[in-house]
Parts: sequence; structure tokens; C-alpha cells
Amino acid sequence: MTRSHVDIDTTRDRATQPLVASVRDLKVYFQAKAGVVHAVDGVSFDIRDGETLGLVGETGCGKSVTARSFIRLVPSPPGIYAGGEIDFWSTEARKGGRGPIDLLQIPHEEMLEIRGDRIAMIFQDPGKALNPALSIRSQVAEVFYQHRSEDILEPLGGEDAPRLIRRAARQQSNSVERFLLKLPPWRAKTEKLKERVNVLVADALKETQIPNPRAIMDNYPHELSGGMKQRVLIAQALACNPDLLIADEPTTALDVTIQARILELIAELQQRLETSVLYISHDLSLVKEICDRVAVMYAGRIVETGTTEEVFSDPKHPYTRGLMAAVPSALHKRGELAAIEGTVPELVDPPAACRFNTRCPFAVEVCRTTDPGLVMVGAEHTVACFAYDTSDGSVVLPTLTRWVS
Amino acid sequence: MTSVTAEQGGQPPTAAQRAVISVRGVEKYFPIKEGTLQRVVGNVRAVDGVSFEVRPGETMGLVGESGCGKTTLGRCISGLAPPTGGKIYFRLPDEDAATLDLIDPIPESDRTVQQRKQVERIDANHRVDVMSGKAWRTYRRNCQIVFQDSFSSLNPRQLVKDLVGRPLQVHKEASGQELTERVVSLLESVGLGRQHLYRYPHQFSGGQRQRISIARALALDPEFIVLDEPTSALDVSVQAQILNLLHELQKDRGLTYLFISHDLGVVRLMSDRIAVMYLGKVAEYGTAQELFEDPRHPYTEALLAANPDIRAEVSVMKGLKGAVPNPANPPEGCRFHTRCPVATPACGWEVDDAVAWLQARELLAAGLADVQRRSKFDATLVFHDEESASAVVRAIHDGDMPPAMKAALETVSTDGSSLVIRFFPVEPVELEDVDDGHLTACLLHTERRHQTWPPQTSADSSSRTAANPSSTSTRNSSTR
Repeated sequence: MTRSHVDIDTTRDRATQPLVASVRDLKVYFQAKAGVVHAVDGVSFDIRDGETLGLVGETGCGKSVTARSFIRLVPSPPGIYAGGEIDFWSTEARKGGRGPIDLLQIPHEEMLEIRGDRIAMIFQDPGKALNPALSIRSQVAEVFYQHRSEDILEPLGGEDAPRLIRRAARQQSNSVERFLLKLPPWRAKTEKLKERVNVLVADALKETQIPNPRAIMDNYPHELSGGMKQRVLIAQALACNPDLLIADEPTTALDVTIQARILELIAELQQRLETSVLYISHDLSLVKEICDRVAVMYAGRIVETGTTEEVFSDPKHPYTRGLMAAVPSALHKRGELAAIEGTVPELVDPPAACRFNTRCPFAVEVCRTTDPGLVMVGAEHTVACFAYDTSDGSVVLPTLTRWVS
Repeated sequence: MTSVTAEQGGQPPTAAQRAVISVRGVEKYFPIKEGTLQRVVGNVRAVDGVSFEVRPGETMGLVGESGCGKTTLGRCISGLAPPTGGKIYFRLPDEDAATLDLIDPIPESDRTVQQRKQVERIDANHRVDVMSGKAWRTYRRNCQIVFQDSFSSLNPRQLVKDLVGRPLQVHKEASGQELTERVVSLLESVGLGRQHLYRYPHQFSGGQRQRISIARALALDPEFIVLDEPTSALDVSVQAQILNLLHELQKDRGLTYLFISHDLGVVRLMSDRIAVMYLGKVAEYGTAQELFEDPRHPYTEALLAANPDIRAEVSVMKGLKGAVPNPANPPEGCRFHTRCPVATPACGWEVDDAVAWLQARELLAAGLADVQRRSKFDATLVFHDEESASAVVRAIHDGDMPPAMKAALETVSTDGSSLVIRFFPVEPVELEDVDDGHLTACLLHTERRHQTWPPQTSADSSSRTAANPSSTSTRNSSTR
């Protein structure tokens, strides 16, 4: 029984909506002393235009590495982009009828253009993602200097503005120019430029429902609460109206009451700005609340994908089932939580086998020797488990029949 | 009473013993120091008057958001940090508890010699922070703690054998071969084994490290364990393993737990009774079932509403506006009123709330120059010009101000560019029994909801505000 990982490719044709990004057989490895760690090992999924895709998994399953690969933030070395592609359609590309660009292949300069502009990211810990030594104003303003210098120049005559001012609007001034800008003939223009940036920053902060943004612009990150810091980060990320927003556990460091507000905010902004979101989380209940589709990752592989509805009402993979059963709820008796025994396997040079076979209560011989590919088990539901038949998704392994039904 | 005098804290629990831990009005303030002389300019009230009891064999849950003081309280109870006020007792017999109930309300100076002696004796035997040496040793054996972050609570340079065997060595329980065997049996009881004896903490996964922490806590066969967020650093599948293990150990060894967590689902599963904390105070207290099925405090309701439920058919996550107020300057009345969706005029509106409301409005805040406070409820807002002052008055009357806050205003009067605002002063909201052991600190669920509003202005309250004009102006709120 051999299966390939490209089975899922069929979904590309079946998708009725246009795609924003398509990950194909992505492999990201890390060179460690003990060997090569296969952190992401053949991951494929699509992000459709305007949807929220949830990428769920436990610590170390490779979900953050997958997300960071989109904007090439995986440090290299030790990281190695070992294969696969991430195709990305920006709005302009789609309007112009152009094809996708492969984010792993484009030159560094082009990536700088895309990063923070077309693809933006919100990080897990807002305390660490903001620079403690810079004011909120200068950190949000940086996005505009980097990507929106034409907006800054607008009241100063756009591209007809003097070269000195054009360079200032891109933060490219050298020390001599900075000195000149302080002198009377230029000072008024510099002030105007600064005021324009302030307006842009205040508008961006206002978007995230920060009350009285002008008052917090001069604050430093430590002066703000966690929820407020996360709002600043969201303002920064959405300032350029990106096509794709990557949210890497944006609420893990926050309290539940604040978390709910931040998620409301992201959902509202997403609707208004028509941004697609890749939402990464370890919290299944959260993903159920906010995502349209879900991809479940385990040990560097995707084990199940589908619409939120399908995956949560009828989980197919033993891992997904185990994960959902392990969430405490009112239905559980104390001491009777369904835990998944064992621990995540080492990802150093892993053998060809189902990654979950060491913890799966239903594993049989084939699980230990062959790699299961994703098979279709529903309209948009795929699963990587030998229990299901490749052709029609019916249950084939006798040991599992009883469990599945 | 003489027979009890001989009693030491070391006695095993008897039928007459109601609580393993009795927390009575515990306060923990952290001083804020400033200047070269490090003068104390204020206090962060991390825990501000908390009382409850933990009964033998039960799990008491302590739940709340970060910064509500639940960890600090856990540290006070386990003797790691002395409380700055209030008392914590270990194995307090019922009769002594009754004695204390009688004596505690009497001020220190009015007590008779006999009463003082009684308190001294009880304190020496049972009160955690002033215990006599022998009682203290017994307490240390019987109260253990498991911390949240197993990485920083296990010494990275020690082997598992030394980590788990350390309490046995310190208390001279075992040594040599016997020690090793005891450690092995402890490791086996938490699902590890002999093969793990000679490894360092970094060689284990998070779940395994937490098991080592639990084994260490069990080493002296304690009666009571403080579990400070034992699973919040773990993945959900491993969390389930640890929670099951904790329950099994409790069943087998008759342990009593204080379970501290911010995760409502976990607390609900593990606890018999739960205290919900907010800003250093207990907001609601009751059995797990009461609390989850019939919450009597808006904060508990808000926590439940914000918690996503994986098994709910449809659930709407709802958050709370605003942030947790500064515990160095907690709100008056009910501490939750600044974020409460159902706050009434009687909930403790004060000058700080009005200033915060003002500062959230860019146009109004721009004109504010200074706030001169006479009391928490009475202040003069000084504006740059008359126009800004009258704009604020208009905003107050046009319904831009929350109706509850507006109704709590006693007077609003302008005098040129300054605006005097005075709120009706209110008393702090205390916990009240609303349903046979179900306690809540919310006006809406107690008898006080029937009170008339506005309150009768007594001469007493007005003289108090008038007699206190010495408070200096604070905080320059200019937003230039």
C-alpha cells in the first residue's frame, strides 16, 4: 500500500474560491547536533481568499515554523528550506491576471516589499514583539516609512516633493541630510511630514479601538497593558491592509476576557479589510470559534483538514479525536479525562511511518512501516490515516472499524 | 482548655477538625518605594482581605485572571511569603476556631490577659507565620507546593534522584540505599521509573518534569498540596495525563489540594469548591456546581462567557471592556464596577472613573489641565479654558457618560474653567451569603439591591468630604 502526499492537490481544482496562498509539500529542517530535525515535513494546504484557516497542534508540531516560512523568518542556519513551495497571490497579481509568486524563491529585496505590506504577522507575546526602547509612535510609524512613503508624501506634493523630503519619508536620510532638515528652509516641511505620520499612526491605532490614540502614541510598551499592546501590534500589522494576516497564537499571553475582545476585533477588521487569516493556535475550542477551515498538525505533518464544522462534529484522525477528548469540560468526571498516552516522537531523521503510531491505541503493522497520505473522507475533509480507504473514504482497517463507528 | 494546650499542630486530623487550612482576612501588600531614601509611597494590594477554609480531602479551586493575587495567596498559604495582615491557620481545631471567632472582633487593646494568652497559644500551635519550631516543622512536611513552570522550579544541575530525594534528606527520613529505593517508589507513583534516576531535568519533556515536581511534593507524604497552575505550561493531551494523575494521587493518599488556575474548565473539573478572585478580593465563592450553573457575580458570568467551549453547539465569546485596574489604587465600592456590564449607581463610581472616561475622549481630554482631588469621590477638574469645561458638562448631560456613572454624581458645577464633581460616597462591597454557603460580593444579588438611590445625604458624609480638603493635587493630565 503506497500513498503519496499529493492526493490533496485535487482540492486546488475543487476550490470554488480563489486562493491567497497555497503551500505544497513544504519541508523545513533544522540542523542539530543529533541530526537533521524534520520540523515541517511535507505540509500542504491552501488558504482561500477571505477565509480564516486554523492551524492547530501541540507544542513542537511545526505550526509556527510553517507560518514563519511564509515571510522567511526561520533563521538559517540552522534552518533549511529543504523543499516545497509557498505560492502567493497578491491582490494586484490577481487583478492583473498574473500567476502566483513562490515566497521561498523570490529575492530578498522582493521579500522585504511583501513582508509587513502584503503579508503581515501578529506574534504570540506582545511584550516581546514590541521594542521596549521605542515609543509606540515610532514603532507603528516604521510601517509607513517602510511601505507607504507615498502616503506620507501626499500633502507635500507626492513624488514632486524635493529629494531631501522624499528620502526623509523613506527614513533614508543620512546625517548631513538630517542636519539640513532641522534648518529653517526645511524645518517647516519636516514638521509637516511628522504631522502627516502622526495622523497616519493615530488612524491606524484608532482602527483597533484604542481610545484616544494620540495619548498613547508617546507611551512606551511597558506602560501599556497586555491587551493594549496586542492592539498596537494588530494596528501595525493591518496598517498596510495586507492580503494575508498570520496570527501566531495572538491571545495565548492574554486573559480570557481580553482574549475575547481581541478576537472580536480581529474578526471585525478581517471582514472590513477583506483580509485572509492564517490563525495558529494550540487551543481547539478557540479555533472552533473563529475559523472557517482547520488543519490539524502533528509532528511536522498535517493529519487532518476540513471545514471547522466537519472536523469538530466528526473528527476522523485518532489524534484529533484524542485532542478533543482531552479538553476538560462539564461532562467529564474527575480522573476520567481521556489523555493521549506517551509523548511526541523525536523528529530527528524520522522513519517512514505514521508519526502518531507510537501513541495511537489502534496502530497496526502498516502504521509502523508506511507513511499515510491524506485521503478524502468528505467533501472537503481529508485525513492521513490508514483506517480510511483512498478511493471513497470508507473504513478499511478491521481493528479500527469498531472504534470509528 | 488545658487538654488542648498540650496539643501540637502535628496531630493527625481528627473528627473535631473542620479545616486543614483556615484563611482569615489575609492581606498581602507589597510596598512601592521611591526616591533615594526608598520611602514607601504606596502599596500594591495583591491580596486584600481574603477568608476561606480548605477542608480535609477536598480540592479548593482558586480562579482569576493574571494579577488578581491568586498566586500570591498560594505563596502566603504555603509559608513562602508572610502575609502583611490577617492570619492563616493550619489544622485549626473547631473549638479553637470558635475561640478565635469570639476574640478576633475585639480590638487588641481591649482584650483580657486570658484572651491574649489563648490567642498566643493558638497562634504558636497553628498560625502559619508565627508557629513554634516544632509545629513549623510539622507544617513544612505537610504542606507542599507544585509550581507552574517546572523548568525554573527544578534545579538544572541536580539529578532527579537528588531533586526528589532532597526533602527526605532534609527531614532525615532516609539515606543511602533506602533513599534511592524511596525515590524509585515515588517516581513509580507518578508514572516514571528507575531508569530516570540519573538524569537531569532538561532531558525530560514538560509533562515529565511536572511529574518530577509532583513526586518531590509527595516525598514527605504531605496532607496538603498547593498546586499553582500545574498544567498551564502543558499541552492539552499532557494536561489530561497530569490532571488524571493528580486525581488518582488524591484518592489514594487522601490529599487536600488548593488548585490555582486561570483555566475555568480545568478548575471546574478538579475542584469541589471554588473561589473566584478579582483584584485581590474574592468576588464569588461556592461549590463548583453552584458557581458554574448559577453564577451570582457579573465577573464570574463574564469569565464563563469569555471562555470558549469546545462542546457547545453555539457559543458566543464575549469579552470585557477595559483592563484590570491598578492594584495599588483599587476602585472604590465593588472593585469590578469599572468593567462591569451591569454596574449600578451604587457600585462605587469615583473621580478616577470620571477622569478615565474623560481621557478616553480625545477632544475632551485635550482641554484638561489638572485634577485636584479632595477625596476619592470629590475633585475639581481644572481645564485650560471655559469652553472645554462646558463641553465636558454638555457631554455628561448628553448621555455620553455611562448612565450608571451619571446617576452616581451628586454634584456637577462649573466655576469658570474649573469643574467640581462629587460622587455619592459608597461603602466597599463585602462577601455575603446568598444561598446556603454560596457567597458573592455583588450588590445585585444581595439585599442591598433594594436600597433606594440616590442615598439620603446625611450630614455625616458631607462633613467628611468638607473636612478633608488637604489632599493635594495629583497627576498632571495634560495630553500635549
